[in-house]
Amino acid sequence: MKNLKKFLAITLSLAMVAGLVSCGETQVSDNQGTEATTETTETEADSTVEYEKIVYSYATFNNIPDAETLTTVEEAINVITREKIGVEVELMPVSIFEYSSNISLALQGGDQIDVFQTLGDFNTCVSSSMAYDLTEIIDSCAPETKALLGENFLQSCVKDGSLYAIPTYKPYALTPMIIYRQDIADELGVDMTQVKGIYDLTAVLEKVKEKYPDMMPLIPVQTGDSGMGRTVANVDYLTDDMFAPKGVLLNGEMTVVDLYGTEEFASLCALTRTWYEDGLIMQDAATTTSTATELMSSGNSFCYIASYSYPTEDTAASLSAQCGNLDIGAVQIGEAYLATDSINSVSWMVASTSKVPEAALKFINLTFTDEAVVNLLIYGIEGRDYVKDADGFVSYPEGQDAATVLYTAQLSCGTLGNYFIMYPMVGTSKESLVWEEEQNTQAKTSPAMGFTFDSSSVKTEYTAVSNAISQYLPGLSCGSVDPDVALPEFIEKLNAAGYDKILAAKQEQLDAWSAQK
Amino acid sequence: MKALKKKKYMGTTKSGPLLLIALPGILYLIINNYLPMFGVFLAFKDYNFVQGIFGSDWNGFENFKYLFSQDAFTITRNTILYNLAFIIIGTVFAIFIAILMCELGEKFRVKIFQSALLLPNLLSWVVIAFIGYAFLNSDTGFINNTIIRLLGLESVSWYTTKNYWPFILVIVYLWKMAGYSSIIYMASISGIDKSIFEAAKIDGATKMQQIKSITLPLLKPTVVILTLMAVGRIFYSDFGLFYQVPMDSGALYDVTQTIDTYVYHGLMELNNVGMSAAAGLYQSMVGFVLVVFANTIVRKFDQENALF
Repeated sequence: MKNLKKFLAITLSLAMVAGLVSCGETQVSDNQGTEATTETTETEADSTVEYEKIVYSYATFNNIPDAETLTTVEEAINVITREKIGVEVELMPVSIFEYSSNISLALQGGDQIDVFQTLGDFNTCVSSSMAYDLTEIIDSCAPETKALLGENFLQSCVKDGSLYAIPTYKPYALTPMIIYRQDIADELGVDMTQVKGIYDLTAVLEKVKEKYPDMMPLIPVQTGDSGMGRTVANVDYLTDDMFAPKGVLLNGEMTVVDLYGTEEFASLCALTRTWYEDGLIMQDAATTTSTATELMSSGNSFCYIASYSYPTEDTAASLSAQCGNLDIGAVQIGEAYLATDSINSVSWMVASTSKVPEAALKFINLTFTDEAVVNLLIYGIEGRDYVKDADGFVSYPEGQDAATVLYTAQLSCGTLGNYFIMYPMVGTSKESLVWEEEQNTQAKTSPAMGFTFDSSSVKTEYTAVSNAISQYLPGLSCGSVDPDVALPEFIEKLNAAGYDKILAAKQEQLDAWSAQK
Repeated sequence: MKALKKKKYMGTTKSGPLLLIALPGILYLIINNYLPMFGVFLAFKDYNFVQGIFGSDWNGFENFKYLFSQDAFTITRNTILYNLAFIIIGTVFAIFIAILMCELGEKFRVKIFQSALLLPNLLSWVVIAFIGYAFLNSDTGFINNTIIRLLGLESVSWYTTKNYWPFILVIVYLWKMAGYSSIIYMASISGIDKSIFEAAKIDGATKMQQIKSITLPLLKPTVVILTLMAVGRIFYSDFGLFYQVPMDSGALYDVTQTIDTYVYHGLMELNNVGMSAAAGLYQSMVGFVLVVFANTIVRKFDQENALF
């Protein structure tokens, strides 16, 4: 009996160990499997033509399609790429929420990813050497894209004289707007076109409050952001996060200044404070986690301040769909301003670990120039995933929507390659596209266009300053703290955190950059 | 502990199969807890994707600097004081609950109370944060709209007023954790030989006297071990509690910012692997020193109960 128990114990534990080991083994053999398949494709290719294989990873706001569906789209793209550039593409869509961390982990782990996009962290990607230097190969592999974007826009992805990325071609210029409930404005007899700036808004908010005491006249566009920062005209954030700027250029000058020390910032804080005290802004604006569209949909909010890159009518129309089909209006309250970060915030990089950088860049080139390729990426397969009407507008097949079709990356439309050659969705107008492309070339541009700031020399200060900003900025922006007390405290804290060092480092790098130019 | 003591009396031949059974666990520990320790290199490196973990350049203590900036005092104070409060109040509370539960007697009642007390522990911090939000929200919150209005007081903007938060955080912590930690104490209490209580009763001891002279002294080893383990983690804070529950409200940072939330905020933008590794190393070093230190004190006063 005792022996039996002992035997059982040993066999059971052995089985468990074996289970563990075999878990490890399946992974290993999986890897071998893929290696084997690549080998076979290579040998197959040998007999016909040799195709280079690249992995293209992009962020999607839609559902991730299953592997089988993905293969069909890949195959459709490969038909084009095999012929045009001799490359086979493997698509790797990643959910937007985990994109940046997934890419950086995959590259650290040595997985094959040849093309990936930066989502606002151009600098980090370059300074941690994730990006391949494209300077030498752009002329041979992507001349059309180079011509399309022009030197000016490409400059935004240049660092120390080397080109590291290709910026997505889309409407860059973000125009500050007020998004409001048209039906309520009409009812109150308010002419919103008379609102030309943020200071004009107070009277409107008061009227709304008077008529609808239970309604929130102004809501934050996102947690702790009343949108007031966006109304400051002609700011170049010098590639910082625009929601937490640390040292900016104002009005086309080349001197780095502290935005929080300016009179304009102080008066904006005072304005939101009066809004807060009079109950004109949502009282929980600094902490609420609801998004502006959610709050609007609830029907209990009047307006918010945000910036969009589409004409006001289009913006209103598309937001109306997102806000439970309420009657939404939009009015422009400032001018668009182009700076480096408006261009390079979404840009395409070839991974520094890539074994086939030329092939990767050639494919990026196709996403900027080939209508068929980019629309396959965005909408999937015609007939199955979308239908196109006679005028070239796209909609989902009957009875289907973005959530039910097998493949769509429609919400990523402004991030993949060339936005202007994508088929427009039903409900948009082709004139808008013209307006948007015009804005790109006509919007006011910062003199420091092309400059990117490298924060690595002031890492320590950067962390401390970031913390100080997240401590004070939301409260000041939403009026929930008294600027007379909090603003001086904020500035003092920034200085103690070594803010001046960041400003000095920025100025120094900026001077060096303009001297080089 | 019991397992450890038993092992002493068994020969190696007999413990062989047991070791084999433990093997998966040991493997798990090695893979999950020991192998990643090589990452400790990262704390002293200027990490770079092309050169990899071992190839990147050394940069000394550069990565640690940011932990000792102007906020260092506030975040260290918050982390340690809150954890001390949790250890002391939490233990007292848990023992209190455990004793009450053991006095309930009837199994059905015990089960009901136990489930009710355990439930909060199953909720994630995000859910708890929103329950808190439902109470404290300044527009529609329960407290502002009922209690404060009933008392005829001015409504409070909870998420921008610092003074209340040390209490709110402790209360929320107790609500979530006390039920769970009381289980271990309940188990120890039910492990106490019933005959001791009977003997005390015959000698005419009251309930209070029994608790004071029997239950509490016999709980001491459990308290010491649990406290020692908690002390080891005194430099870590419960991220969810300090980040989610105050809704990451900037105005409250002076009383809610701990090492973990500070590191999170600072590195969200920088995305720096080396600096995160540095923070982790710093926390575990201090934690290690504190455990050794606390254990030395325990050993001095009460050798039996020391961990090592």
